[in-house]
Amino acid sequence: MTEISNSRPVRPRPKLRTFLVAAFLIVFTVFSARKVGFSFSTFWEMWSNPLWEKFWPVPWEWIFDRHNVVDPLLETFQIAIISTLIGCSLALPISFAISSLTTPNRPTYFVTKAVMNIVRAIPDLFWAKLLVTAIGIGAFAGSWALSIFSLAVMVKLFSETIDGADPRPLEAARAAGGRHAPSVSTGVFPTVFPAYVAYALYVFELNIRASIVLGLVGAGGIGRVVEAQRQYFRFDRVLGVLLIIFVIVLVIEQVSVALRKRLI
Amino acid sequence: MIRFDNVSVTYRGGVKALRGLDLTVEEGEFVVIVGLSGAGKSTLLRALNGLVPATEGSITVNETEVVGASAAKLREIRSKIGMIFQTFNLVHRTTVLNNVLMGRLSAVPAWRSTFGLWPEKDREKAMQSLERVGIVEKAYVRASDLSGGQQQRVGIARALAQDPLIMLADEPVAALDPITSRQVMTDLQRINEDLGITTLVNLHFLDLAREYGKRLIGLREGELVFDGDIADVTDETFQQIYGRSITEEDLLTTETRND
Repeated sequence: MTEISNSRPVRPRPKLRTFLVAAFLIVFTVFSARKVGFSFSTFWEMWSNPLWEKFWPVPWEWIFDRHNVVDPLLETFQIAIISTLIGCSLALPISFAISSLTTPNRPTYFVTKAVMNIVRAIPDLFWAKLLVTAIGIGAFAGSWALSIFSLAVMVKLFSETIDGADPRPLEAARAAGGRHAPSVSTGVFPTVFPAYVAYALYVFELNIRASIVLGLVGAGGIGRVVEAQRQYFRFDRVLGVLLIIFVIVLVIEQVSVALRKRLI
Repeated sequence: MIRFDNVSVTYRGGVKALRGLDLTVEEGEFVVIVGLSGAGKSTLLRALNGLVPATEGSITVNETEVVGASAAKLREIRSKIGMIFQTFNLVHRTTVLNNVLMGRLSAVPAWRSTFGLWPEKDREKAMQSLERVGIVEKAYVRASDLSGGQQQRVGIARALAQDPLIMLADEPVAALDPITSRQVMTDLQRINEDLGITTLVNLHFLDLAREYGKRLIGLREGELVFDGDIADVTDETFQQIYGRSITEEDLLTTETRND
């Protein structure tokens, strides 16, 4: 037992490194702003542009016409559902292969990880452009682009959850003489399954939002309507559609958050 | 049936957990292993079923060599060795029955067990194991809803479902209260006597070791420093194994610790 000392320690002095890092960040920010010609006055001038008057009033009769908005919106939902299903199903085995806890062997781990890094390095919008070019304009290309996007997001989130899972039941399964796949499915899968469902809901939420953006490059859905009306300078219609999208995204987000809370 | 021949285990990083261990255990024995934490008790058990690879020497289970065995051979050896753990190592988010079924992993084809398609006779086997430890009524309850003592019984049932010849228990009562500890030790003793399963138990409570063991093995810094009948063991023996005098901390129950 060491004796308990009652003298207070000296307050540590602030480190020189902290000041240097702060100074560097300030200099770098000012330099970057100069380089791109950033100024607050242009930001304010933007708001006085007469363009904004074209946003009002919103033509609600046009918005609530089935062919104009409802059908493309349904297409957006269909794209999001199919992409979530395809992406998340593929992500299940890949996530287990890519987690250090459950990978069957080193080569599988490294090859899968490398492939997934490449897939993730390409942005979803670029995948969409690529696929629109390859298989033509429409919802089919959009579904493919979002499937790849879902896969990438899901693998990233879910494999990290598997990494953090309790390794001890897996040890028990191995001690009982289990093969690799059944040991993982009985020893780890039940632990991470609720997280899997929660992430799938989150990916669906992301897909709804992303399929709006993807419409801009011709990959189907409600985004196509936004893009077409923008080209005709019908900003009143654009605003109406955006408001509808805003409400839908908000509702889906709330439902998804509520469901995920129950799961984890 | 179990033979350690000059076995050493060196972990990555250079820690020597076992040094030149020689040990023979016959069929049906109930062996208690004691020693301070870090003495190599856990490593001894894990070297026996290959969870920790021995770096030197030879370990045989029923004439089958464990050291350097192929993955398939290792699974075959492990299928006959049940193991129970200090922290129970159950899957909390599934039923008791699913946990016990993990003991049937080596007996069921991988394509069935991976997708949870357990054959009826293996489910029956799991149920029987639960009956033997007296908690079959909890079969469809989530493992996380059980008390510590009940969870350890599920751990024992999982090991029993393997139809093991050997049972390894790594500090099975360290996480339990005194009363539950005695119940679990009694379960292990009864299984050893009724089914003739060779049992190796790591313990750090000396009174429990004396109460339930038949043969005592003492480890100190990875070396075997005592091997003998529990009847011949005195406080001096424990002091010799531990290299220090015995304190209340080494006993499960004392006059001052009647909690």
